[in-house]
Amino acid sequence: MVFNSLTFVAFFALVLVVHNLPLAWTWRKVNLLLASYVFYSAWNPPFVILLWISTVVDWYAAQGLVKARRESARHAWMLLSVIANLGMLGYFKYGNFLLDNFAALLHAAGIAYQPAAHDIVLPVGISFYTFATLSYTLDVYLRRALPAENFLDYALFVTFFPHLVAGPIMRPTELVPQFEQPRRASADQLRFGLALMTLGLFNKVVLADSFLAPVAEHVYDAQAIPGALDAWAATLAFSGQIFCDFAGYSTTAIGAALCLGFAMPDNFRFPYAAVGFSDFWRRWHITLSSWLRDYLYIPLGGNRHGERRTYAALMTTMLLGGLWHGASWTFVAWGGLHGAYLAVERVLRSRFAKWRPGPLALIVLGLLTWTLVNITWVFFRAKTFDKAWTVLRGMAGTNAQAKPILESFYLISVAVIVGGIVLAHWFMRARTLESVVARAHPAAIGTVWALLAFAIVAAQGSGAAFIYFQF
Amino acid sequence: MDMRRHDVSPEDQARYLRRGDYARVTAADRPGVAQPVPEREVPTQPWGKVLLGACVLFALLLGGWEWHWRAFGVRPAYRNDSGLWSIQRARIDNGEGNATVLIGSSRMFMDLQLDVWQKFDGERPIQLAFEGTTPVPFLEDLAADPKFTGRLLVGVAPELFFSGYGFHKDAIAFYHKESPSQRVGQWLSMHLIEPFWAFDDRDFALATVLERQPWWPDRPGKPNRLHVRRLNISGPDRATQLWDKVADDPQYQALARRIWTQDFEPSPDDPPPEKVAKTRDEQIDHVVKAVATLRARGVKVLFVRPPSAGPYLAYDDRLFPRAQAWDVLLAKSGVPGIYFSDYPELSDFDPPEWSHLKLADARKFTAALHAIVVRDYWKPDAPK
Repeated sequence: MVFNSLTFVAFFALVLVVHNLPLAWTWRKVNLLLASYVFYSAWNPPFVILLWISTVVDWYAAQGLVKARRESARHAWMLLSVIANLGMLGYFKYGNFLLDNFAALLHAAGIAYQPAAHDIVLPVGISFYTFATLSYTLDVYLRRALPAENFLDYALFVTFFPHLVAGPIMRPTELVPQFEQPRRASADQLRFGLALMTLGLFNKVVLADSFLAPVAEHVYDAQAIPGALDAWAATLAFSGQIFCDFAGYSTTAIGAALCLGFAMPDNFRFPYAAVGFSDFWRRWHITLSSWLRDYLYIPLGGNRHGERRTYAALMTTMLLGGLWHGASWTFVAWGGLHGAYLAVERVLRSRFAKWRPGPLALIVLGLLTWTLVNITWVFFRAKTFDKAWTVLRGMAGTNAQAKPILESFYLISVAVIVGGIVLAHWFMRARTLESVVARAHPAAIGTVWALLAFAIVAAQGSGAAFIYFQF
Repeated sequence: MDMRRHDVSPEDQARYLRRGDYARVTAADRPGVAQPVPEREVPTQPWGKVLLGACVLFALLLGGWEWHWRAFGVRPAYRNDSGLWSIQRARIDNGEGNATVLIGSSRMFMDLQLDVWQKFDGERPIQLAFEGTTPVPFLEDLAADPKFTGRLLVGVAPELFFSGYGFHKDAIAFYHKESPSQRVGQWLSMHLIEPFWAFDDRDFALATVLERQPWWPDRPGKPNRLHVRRLNISGPDRATQLWDKVADDPQYQALARRIWTQDFEPSPDDPPPEKVAKTRDEQIDHVVKAVATLRARGVKVLFVRPPSAGPYLAYDDRLFPRAQAWDVLLAKSGVPGIYFSDYPELSDFDPPEWSHLKLADARKFTAALHAIVVRDYWKPDAPK
């Protein structure tokens, strides 16, 4: 089920009540585990089997890793986990993509091949829980952690509903220890958790779905050829939409966990105030970028084996990171662009190692980063390369047959909301939400909270799925 | 979990931490180590009072919003969306496949009154028509469902039927893929929200209301367009009528007419005539195939062209003249049809905004239509 639904409101209220009953800690954990399975199977019940397979395989793989005496046996257990997890991910997420590309390759070689039609349905959140369970066996393999002591704690780590389908991608060392001791939110944790959930849902339901998504759809999903204003407005709208959608999900998830007495890590640190792309990736989808760094970039050699190997590892990581987002070459292009940006930044940083930007240069570099990030969003949002080039040509002002697409309301709402997001990110650049809330007047917090909640109800969200569910 | 193995030691902190100007340390600042349990502080505030104040203000805002819409003439009704439609569509697959089913666009939706039909027929039809939407994909969906063996009344609004336009086409996919979560949400909404709150209608959603404000300037080359307003109210089984505000409030009626008028004049954005004709022929071909499948299964199909008037009728006739569209549809499909202007008892109406009948007229229309149907096409003693 999605957070922005009546079903979730009823579900969460019930989970909260049972979690706060005077029951033994084990039973309260069983409640959370069963609730998490209900949460997942509310989309498509049979897919919960995949979740169980992933859970069981990694549990036994980690046990095997610890008991193995020879290094080759440890490798074998690790490979079992990687192959089982990536195999399922590969089949469900990339099966059709691989078949289509194989057929295209044969066609290019002059061999006619038409693969049988496979209607493979993507299990929601498979990319997220696959990475979470993989980090469990990989941490044990890399001798960073020992396996969980009981299956319930481990299964709950994999399945815990706030992070299950769209992150933040949790590491076992972040969550399993929290299940070892009884936890119940304090009254203030519960209230602040509810406030975070309100903020997250406001981002999703009001900003992303109600105001920004329609603007992007008018240009990206239509046949009309956009000019500069429409192409930029739609792309900026999407940049705001994807941030509000995904950061909104993360904030809601963090709030939901806090209401239950658990802590989850930040997934975003005001990324549209990033200066440079290494800064951007330390602010955007942090739990994914750090996962890719720890389990892909560093094992590929990281930056410790010479410049050439560093750039190769960087590009490989970003290209695969792009592919993780979706089975399409447009996502690979998006990842490739970010890889190229990071590589160029690395060159520039080594050339101008002694230069320290002043305040004005910092803002200029920040705006340049934001502009270049927006260009990458074109490939992320466009369903085909043809569409991406059409929008990019529009952004460059070179679409000769362009006609105005968006009415003034859409242009103004994008300017106000996206402008507001960027300014807010710059204001919050070196702050946390908590530090700002702590300094605010209680009446102001209550007023803002009520306004956000009212806007959510008045916006009447259609229960649209979060963008990252498809990944 | 052995915490000793994944706690970040002070040495590790010094070695790995690249805090920079980030206010809070995250995994981004700790490369290549086990990540510790996150810390989430709660800002110091009187949270009990804050929550109470927020709840009171929220209640006031919500109460004010509800009062505003009730003062505008709105009463609670059921949201006519894919979830509500799916409940009716499911009846066919859950033991009522032999029923009389209505598909079509808004005229079939609002002009045919289920209780009147039930009074004369003894059976309440299943209402599957959708406003702003061609029924052709719905016809194909029913053709592909072997459980449907009943009778089918297909409303034809030429502008939509022959153009293939479908505002609610997604409802079919929604029904076939509806998740347990969506079904539960629909039930909750129909029992806790929709019967009690007038503002809960997509026409009064915040973004929609803002977009409709008159203060937005016209963009050169893209003037602001008026979008269709709320015209109907629905019950839990999609029994639907024209909203009485359309009939009784002259200002609202004038607005509704102004909205239709935007489409009546030819525009440079209109598709070329040859494309319009091609689309029309494609739609008819789809219908012919679907009808053949349905009739092979014993389903009785009947087309109905409900009334329109004034400039809307002129627009319908200009866009898809009867001889080139309706007559061809009947001839190619071999299905009989009832065209309102062929029957005085179906023509003597004055739709308030030229397209839909007010409730009293809709009831008369339904009674007259039912009489024609049973007299000329679906005789009561004939097997289904």
